[in-house]
Amino acid sequence: MSEHKINYTKIYFTLLALLAVSVAGPFIGIQWVTLVTAFGIALVKANLVIQNFMHIRVEKSWIKWMLSFSILMILLLFYGVAPDVMRHEGQNWTNVAAQAAVERGIPDGEHEEEAAHAEAEPALAVEESDFAAAGTYVTYCAFCHGVGGRGDGVASSAFDPRPADFGAAAFWDARADDQVALAIREGGAAVGRSESMPPWGSVLDEAQAAAMVEYLKAFQTGG
Amino acid sequence: MTMTKPIATTRSASGIPTGRLAIWWVLASEVVIFGGLIAAYLMHRLGHPEWADAAAHTNTWIGAFNTVVLLTSSFTAVMAHQAAERGDGKKAARLLLLTVGGALTFLVVKGLEWRSEISHGYTITANGFWSFYYTAAGLHAAHVIAGAIIMLFVARDAAKNRELHRVELIGIYWHFVDVVWIFLFPLLYIAK
Repeated sequence: MSEHKINYTKIYFTLLALLAVSVAGPFIGIQWVTLVTAFGIALVKANLVIQNFMHIRVEKSWIKWMLSFSILMILLLFYGVAPDVMRHEGQNWTNVAAQAAVERGIPDGEHEEEAAHAEAEPALAVEESDFAAAGTYVTYCAFCHGVGGRGDGVASSAFDPRPADFGAAAFWDARADDQVALAIREGGAAVGRSESMPPWGSVLDEAQAAAMVEYLKAFQTGG
Repeated sequence: MTMTKPIATTRSASGIPTGRLAIWWVLASEVVIFGGLIAAYLMHRLGHPEWADAAAHTNTWIGAFNTVVLLTSSFTAVMAHQAAERGDGKKAARLLLLTVGGALTFLVVKGLEWRSEISHGYTITANGFWSFYYTAAGLHAAHVIAGAIIMLFVARDAAKNRELHRVELIGIYWHFVDVVWIFLFPLLYIAK
């Protein structure tokens, strides 16, 4: 059973002091220091509680083995699954959704405010008031047209003719902007192109489709 | 018929009182439940640098305050255990009620924190980070609620000097809930 020699009060105040250090860590502003004060100290705190409050140090040793086994299972889970979750592409596969989330999530310069706004009120992301073409593109278009707009999305190989390549100057030379906007709203068939291009009129109104066309033009590489 | 306890309650083939053995089994499975969730969170967090932007919106001071509350409640729980070992059921019951007070404080603070976050649009469906935030903290809060309820029953018996060994058992569970929070705090509030 428990030892009465343990000074619980002392351990309690040690825990509070360690907590103060882990809160202070990020103020130093050095990443590795923060990691040590956050997770290193969490391990120390957890160990203090487990050893002294839960009295595991005077418990039968096989209880420790039993709990260690549970932790080992979690480590196995982590190392078994983490490579697939943490990497977003491999030799024969691409995790489009994860790549799109990363791309959508990191605000770049002037879009920072807009992105922060979209994050705070996600339900409004596609509404006209704060229409963000980039997010809409990634959600609805990138699957076929590719994250970079080159007509090379994961599903692109399933189509003949292939999805349009917005990076090619020839694409823009061959048609007027309002034709592209019409194709977006009413589908490829409406402009005599591939029927595989579905109509997105229920997602984008005319002004948004026009904004999307401007966004697509930015994919041009100038070549 | 006289009331007798089941044989399993009083025997101890393993050298550990049956109740305490049961608690360790519960915790061995809890390790897998919380461990699986935290492992899943970690691998997604490492694969999604953009989550740092979402994590920047959690309030470190509220998290730290709740950590103090839980550490304090763990302290009162272990003091209750000490009192029970000395046969002082009344004191053990008082300390357990203090621990329940800590649990309620924790939940009230968490409720206010969530209300503020939800009103700013940071809901469970906002993005992956907030999904994990509410799932992990919510599962933890469910354990706090369960522990507080059980503690009330244990305290009621302990006040009459009955079933004092249960004070230690609920204490072990409570310290585990504390340990889970010790890890959730840096994961959700400090690493930004």
